Amino acid sequence: MSLVPVYRPRPSPLHAARAGVGAGFCCALALTGALYRHPLVLGATLVAIVAAGVAAGVGSEMRRSLVLALPLALLVTIINPLVYAEGGTLLVRGGELFGRRIDITLEATLYGALTGLRVVVIVVALGLLSAAVDPDELLRLFRRVSYRSALTASLANRLVPVLARDAMRMSDAARCRPHPPGRLAVVRAALAGALDRSVDVAAALEVRGYALGGRPPRRRRPWSRHDLRFLGAALGIAAVAVGGAIAGVGEVQPYPTLELAWGAAVWALSAAIVLLAVAPFAGRAARLGVGGAP
Amino acid sequence: MTLALARDFSYRYPDSPRPALDHVSLAIAPGTFTVLGGVSGSGKSTLLRALCGLVPHFHGGEAAGELRVGGLDLRAHGPGELAAVCGTVFQEPETQVVMGGVRAELELPLEHRREPAGAVARAVEETALELGIAHLLERRTDTLSGGELQRVAIAAAMVHGPRLLLLDEPTSQLDPVAGDELVWLLRRLNEDFGTAVVVAEHRLERCLPAADRVIAMAEGRVACDLPPAGFLEWAATAAPALETPAARLFSLAGLRPPPTTVKEARAGVEKVGLRPPPTTVKEARAGVEKVGLRPPPRPAGPAPAANGARRLRLPWRRRAGEPPALALRDVWLEVEDGPVVLRGISLELAAGERVALMGRNGAGKSTLLRVAKGLVGPSRGKVERAGAVALLLQNPGDYLIHDHAVEDAGERGVASAGLLGREQANPRDLSGGERQRLALEVVLSGGPCAAVLLDEPTRGMDRVHRDELIARIDQLAGGGATVVVATHDTEFTAAFADRVVLLGQGVVIADGPPVDVLGGGRHFSTQVARITDGAALVPEEGAALLRAPVSVEAAP
Repeated sequence: MSLVPVYRPRPSPLHAARAGVGAGFCCALALTGALYRHPLVLGATLVAIVAAGVAAGVGSEMRRSLVLALPLALLVTIINPLVYAEGGTLLVRGGELFGRRIDITLEATLYGALTGLRVVVIVVALGLLSAAVDPDELLRLFRRVSYRSALTASLANRLVPVLARDAMRMSDAARCRPHPPGRLAVVRAALAGALDRSVDVAAALEVRGYALGGRPPRRRRPWSRHDLRFLGAALGIAAVAVGGAIAGVGEVQPYPTLELAWGAAVWALSAAIVLLAVAPFAGRAARLGVGGAP
Repeated sequence: MTLALARDFSYRYPDSPRPALDHVSLAIAPGTFTVLGGVSGSGKSTLLRALCGLVPHFHGGEAAGELRVGGLDLRAHGPGELAAVCGTVFQEPETQVVMGGVRAELELPLEHRREPAGAVARAVEETALELGIAHLLERRTDTLSGGELQRVAIAAAMVHGPRLLLLDEPTSQLDPVAGDELVWLLRRLNEDFGTAVVVAEHRLERCLPAADRVIAMAEGRVACDLPPAGFLEWAATAAPALETPAARLFSLAGLRPPPTTVKEARAGVEKVGLRPPPTTVKEARAGVEKVGLRPPPRPAGPAPAANGARRLRLPWRRRAGEPPALALRDVWLEVEDGPVVLRGISLELAAGERVALMGRNGAGKSTLLRVAKGLVGPSRGKVERAGAVALLLQNPGDYLIHDHAVEDAGERGVASAGLLGREQANPRDLSGGERQRLALEVVLSGGPCAAVLLDEPTRGMDRVHRDELIARIDQLAGGGATVVVATHDTEFTAAFADRVVLLGQGVVIADGPPVDVLGGGRHFSTQVARITDGAALVPEEGAALLRAPVSVEAAP
């Protein structure tokens, strides 16, 4: 099973929305994570993403995204206090390394943890995108802008799991040898095999008329209620997040002592993000196939 | 009018000392079904790659002579332009499907041609219906089986309505059921829509019933270009390696004309009155035993339980007190968050036994071999090994990781693989059969083994190489190893095995001598077994049976 969430068609409003809108929804949530460091806002955004994922039927993919993000978050949490010695509350007085004094402060540690939480929010939001938005449809949009780059991305998206399977197979074959070869030899052979695969795929593309390729024609598709609801949610989340950031809502002052704003505006912003994210999944209109019925 | 026309067309791959195509002249008419035959390296694949423009535009090299496809001259037009006339499908479905979703895969060739959205939607829908893959349109390509993936690849090649469809060994990765279905699908495309089909295939018995014409290649040249019956007459004397089992049965029995289908063969046998086909398998078997072709079946152990799983079946060759070379006792394999792959498999394999492990794709054959080797631990049950176990997985290339053959297999291994003098050759430059032999020597290089396990070793292998493999299996079994081969190839099984284990959904559903399992089966039976109602499995047995008519008394 892949650690990175993989798209599978499912009967959910998010899957039913057009790829551009679905991606916009996920990116708006990721944007919120990128704009804020306040734990309440980040926590609310994480809750919003996970709730949206569960409502879209990709709860296990959300769990896997969290598993993928946690080591990164932990790394950031650990590195930040080692790199920044600012902050008024000294936890550990370290020695000198390369002429630089290593002191660990409470503020730098907490600020590292908040940055780690931010990483978690962004990774999980992208995990939702990866699990619930059709990559082919999404890359088709980009093919109109940059044909070759988008097709290369499509191929990478398709071939990475194929090459991973090849590498796994070669590793099994190495275990079957009476004298198993070194890991480096197997990696080298797997890379050579990847080149062979690439040549085969290039040949397949040639005979499918790749050389004639250009901008695919625009596809007219009527806007469904799911498209409109998720577009509304994405615009709402982006507007609230950007507006809040401009207005200075949820500001964090890490040094010399960590100061967090806990006013009504932060609570309102956090609540708005959660409500906007779950709104497209709520109500009769979110049900597949019955929303438009009289 | 011709769809493709070659006049004295020759081609040499870059850095190759000899031409892959040598003064080839042929014409493909619209609406015909042509089978390309020939042993490995005879030029079949290169000819297909020339017809779609990959040769020389993609592969480089030197081309001479004239080749026109749909009126387009190969010298002036590359594969992109020729793709308007011909769709191409290669052997490996995994690398010719380029998109993540089936619908997107079918849309891509049309988008390359900048077809309007309405035309794309209609073509995708109609092609999916024609090929019976409408239910797969919303699936992801990484969730499809090999047969489904191959159909999707054909649909992607057909979606823009080419007049010529080129296929390079499209059934080599499929089980017999999926392979037969694919050939009949091609025939339907040919008959209903007038699409000309050119298919290169080793398993000629699978394709000949659908073919209008057979082109046999030999050393880059067209050796024969005749309708199927004429081709089989030619092959009987000029290229016996290309004969189908039914045709070989007829030529050994002195019957003419050679049949292209099982139906023709049965009619042929009855028509000459050599011997009426037996009415029951029991009668037929009694006849075979009477002419002394096959000894009576060895006493078997107790029959498998109803689910085929728990009851132990004693092997025929094992002497009392002798431990089995390999034993699986109530082996289960349950994948976490996945299916149950093996369900209580119990098997005992004696030293020197040659066992064929059969079953459709996904039946659990490969997994059983991996469990037997110890690559995967069983969820429940145990595996007993009397000594070392060698396993050759499906892709021999995976074992060849060095730049020189000798570094992979050692000098002795290279010699045993019949590659003396090619110690310094890069394994990637060896033919499929040579790689197979070298990889087998790699896994055997650790010394004597109690069991040798081979996973689909005959995929894409011609009869000459298959016979070489049988000789090596005999040698290994003669040396005391039990040899277990997971295979879909019933003809190969009939030629090498003395026991067949048939798996279905992770359960042993049949276990016995080949004459019982292959003689009594429908899909899992040989062509000769179908002609002789299971009395004989291979042409030599069948011919002897036909030549020596016997009166069969009713069996008691």
